Amino acid sequence: MVGDKVTLEIHREETLEEEDSVSKFLLIFFIFTISLVANEAQDIIKKLDENMRGENVSMKMTMRVVSLSHERTMKMQSWSEGTKKSFTKILYPPKDRGITFLSLENQMWQYVPKIERIIKIPPSMMLQNWMGSDITNDDIVKQSSIVEDYEPKIIKKKNTLVTIELIPKEDAAVVWGKIIINIDTTTYTSNRDVFYDEDGEEVRQFIYEKVKKFGKYYIPTYWRVQSSSKKDNFTEIILEDVEYDTEISQHYFKKSALKRFSR
Amino acid sequence: MFKLILKMAWKNSFLRLSRTLLVVLMISVSMSMMLGIAGLYDGMTLNMIDKTKRSESGDLSIYAKDYRVQKDIKYRIENAWSIKKELEKRDGVEAVVLRIKADGLVSTARKSSFASIIGIDLDDEERFGRFSEFLKKGEIDLSKRGAIIGIELAKTLKVRIGSKLVFSTQDISGEINSMALKVKGIVHTTNIGLDTGAVFIDKQKLHRFLGTKPDEAIQIAIKSEDKKLLEILKAKYPALEVKNFLELQPMLKQMQDMMLIFNGVSFAIVMGVVFIGILGVMYVSILDRIREFGIMLGVGMHYKYIRLQIILESLFVGLTGYISGAVLGVVLLIYLRDYGLDFSAFSDALAMWGYESTIKGTIKISYFTNTFVAIMSASMLSVIIPLRKIKKLNPIDVIKAEK
Amino acid sequence: MFSFALKNILFYKGRSITTFILTFISAILFIVYVSMMDGSHDSMLKNSLKIYSGAIEIYHKDYRDIGGNEYLIRDVESIEKKLSLVDGVELFSSRYETYGLLSFGDNSMASMVVGIEPKKEEQLTQLKVALVDGEYLKYGSQNCLYIGSGVAKRLKVKIGDEISFIGGASDNSFVADIFMVYGVFKTGLSEFDDSATFVSRDYFDKLMLSKNIASYITVKVKDLDRVDEINSEIIKLLNDENLESLTWKTLMKSMVETMEVDSIFGYISLSLFLVVIFFVIMIYGFINVSSRIKEFGVLRCVGLSKKHIFLLLFYEIFILSTFALILATPIAGYICYYYSINPIVIEGMAEMYKDYGIVSDEIPFSFDIFTISWNISLIYGLNILSIIYPYFYINSFKSIEASRHV
Repeated sequence: MVGDKVTLEIHREETLEEEDSVSKFLLIFFIFTISLVANEAQDIIKKLDENMRGENVSMKMTMRVVSLSHERTMKMQSWSEGTKKSFTKILYPPKDRGITFLSLENQMWQYVPKIERIIKIPPSMMLQNWMGSDITNDDIVKQSSIVEDYEPKIIKKKNTLVTIELIPKEDAAVVWGKIIINIDTTTYTSNRDVFYDEDGEEVRQFIYEKVKKFGKYYIPTYWRVQSSSKKDNFTEIILEDVEYDTEISQHYFKKSALKRFSR
Repeated sequence: MFKLILKMAWKNSFLRLSRTLLVVLMISVSMSMMLGIAGLYDGMTLNMIDKTKRSESGDLSIYAKDYRVQKDIKYRIENAWSIKKELEKRDGVEAVVLRIKADGLVSTARKSSFASIIGIDLDDEERFGRFSEFLKKGEIDLSKRGAIIGIELAKTLKVRIGSKLVFSTQDISGEINSMALKVKGIVHTTNIGLDTGAVFIDKQKLHRFLGTKPDEAIQIAIKSEDKKLLEILKAKYPALEVKNFLELQPMLKQMQDMMLIFNGVSFAIVMGVVFIGILGVMYVSILDRIREFGIMLGVGMHYKYIRLQIILESLFVGLTGYISGAVLGVVLLIYLRDYGLDFSAFSDALAMWGYESTIKGTIKISYFTNTFVAIMSASMLSVIIPLRKIKKLNPIDVIKAEK
Repeated sequence: MFSFALKNILFYKGRSITTFILTFISAILFIVYVSMMDGSHDSMLKNSLKIYSGAIEIYHKDYRDIGGNEYLIRDVESIEKKLSLVDGVELFSSRYETYGLLSFGDNSMASMVVGIEPKKEEQLTQLKVALVDGEYLKYGSQNCLYIGSGVAKRLKVKIGDEISFIGGASDNSFVADIFMVYGVFKTGLSEFDDSATFVSRDYFDKLMLSKNIASYITVKVKDLDRVDEINSEIIKLLNDENLESLTWKTLMKSMVETMEVDSIFGYISLSLFLVVIFFVIMIYGFINVSSRIKEFGVLRCVGLSKKHIFLLLFYEIFILSTFALILATPIAGYICYYYSINPIVIEGMAEMYKDYGIVSDEIPFSFDIFTISWNISLIYGLNILSIIYPYFYINSFKSIEASRHV
């Protein structure tokens, strides 16, 4: 809508010269409002992102993976700092206990105590499901992109609920056609992210519930990842013991941590 | 005298019109069929070899040692640019291209597939192998985020022109990076490896992405007819791996050899049978006229004139057959070259071997020269036995004989 | 009329001998060529069936198209019980295929890891024959890994090296293990050699939680010609719409098509030879007839009808062809039979193919009475066709005119 008006104004400026000054004013006015609106969307996304990660964050997660015939539960603890560093350790089930993951910049390593090996995850494995869930390795490594890679636009506002459409920037290396996020601006948390492909068809959803406040940050403590084509399969994540902006030892973000914190 | 003999030979050739026509028909039908088959087979292999050379291997390719096994960008040619410059100065080298290549994963929101990203310089590729001729859809454009992908890969990923792709691979420092690409063109090279897994992008862009230097390359492909070049380059760059087409594509080379043998054998068989046909007709036609020859000998005509007449007669028949065969053959070959045979019912199988579903023929001058020589020799040889018979003739007996 | 024809044959020796020889040669050429073509196609097929694919494979629906653990067969034992009831089934074995990351030192690659029953696979496939280094798997060989030569090269491993494996189990849970390189194989199918590795199922099942679970079941039949029949029997017995039982004709569609294309080209080439030979036989028949115009004229004058003349010509060519074929068929048949049992070995080919592993350098012929019979009938047909023009040629002369013909 807003965009339409701008082109209209530009058009008028070209044809009706006597209204030059008026149209110029209008033009400036509209550009101003657009940038304001864009900034608003940008701000919301930034705040949302801040809420999700803080300066740094550590938490315990319980992940329940449900696929056609069975369900599995995993527990893990994770530490992350900013967008580029994160460390995760599996606590449960016993057979996977002690498996650790480190992602630094755009690289990802995994340590498996059973085989006592550190394995670097190659690009060909990045779209594999992480630990058999509906989350890919790629989701974990590229958490940052929501702010940097997308152009946000508010498409609906209803009280404190804002619907934002994220369109990937021209050269952003993301596969989605768009993401639509429903954000509650009282807490700056999302209750639903819907991922679409290039043709505008829904591919998967993230559903968030049970927003809680930890320190100055709000975060949903229940997440559900649902693939749109396989309705019976989903992954649930429950967050516990979330701690923001604490002293996280830099030792976690070194390759040596993989083995060291495995135990 | 000679003129007279020529005239007689000409007239005699067509004395028994239907008989001669049968021979001419036999020669022309079998010859044109043979040419058609040879053209089709040659066309098939040549086309495949030509496209493989143009799209990938060239006549010679240089790689860093171990690259061909490990397929890792660790193994690259460091001073590729200067090698290219040196090669280009060399006589007999028609074109040289540098390519950079990395394996990784290409994905859309729904699908992902293993693929190789290949950095090319479009101008160089055009000179090297007329790259633009491979284009099936879209346009040849690698500017900005433009990418050109293989036709089978496009099918696997279910993408079309304008679709976005994300390609992920490790750069030289081991970091996994991704880049966004836009499908600008879809190519059909009939080179299976490329059709199923190639993503072509601008070479400089890939260098920046991988962190490799602009003067480095994974492969240097050379187009050159010079047979000695292989040994020269092997000696000159002992630290690199220099391979010719035969070593890079042994199967293709072998196929070409098989086709050659096969065509040769068919040629021999067909010409052998054609020879028997001409022989039969010439023999009978001489026997028919044995009295005539007896009389000619009787009135004092020299044997060698009769021989000449018979040889000419046979050559006329052969030549007429050859000409009509050549005309028919040319028509058939042109049809096969321009329209080809449609094998789309078997396109899966043909694609597996890198053929196109319409197989087109080729035309070589040698087809016509070889058949010309063969048919003329067959005609000449076919008169030997009948001539022997005449030579032994006693004119008196012949004239007396009540046939 | 028949004896008259026989006399004519004996009288016109030149024509008879040429026709005889040409028929003889074309029959032999035709039969042997077709037999070689069919034989090499058969062996191509059998070779690839031997390497890894089964004559029949049973899948859960969508496993082949979509893949993933949702589409695994989860009641292998009951299916196997049913399979053992099918008469035409010689042997079957289930395989559990998964993709995972193999790494050794700095090298890693995505690879297909397959849990197999070593003893059965030995009979079903060429896996054991393709061994080039180390040893083949056996039941209870624990974490021993049998790897393709391309995999060995890529990971730079040798016998005894320990490769780490990470992947997903049949319930999608995370799996990691250490495998020991036990043997290296090379089948000549480069895609296969570059990506496949095998582990004994008894060990792999514990790791992948895949007991009684399979990606598919591969079946060997007693008689490959009856594969469709056996397959429909299997489908009937399984009686489960979630399963699909497919024959090699579907599984290896492109190979089947390749053979068809090759046959088409083969027949195109053959038709060339046959056309040329047909022409020559016709020319000789024609020459022969044209030198006998007078004779035919006389025959007509004494009251023989056109039908009789045709019969005469027919008998002549029939007798000649029959003699030639009576001689040619056993010889050609014997050649086919001999080479079907003792395939031609092209020496150079083994050398040339040494890089391609166990690709066979043998070209066996096929020996099939039906094929030989239709080949012979075709030659008969062509020969008989060759008298049509000469026959019309004679009839173009009026009988009186012909009797005066010189």
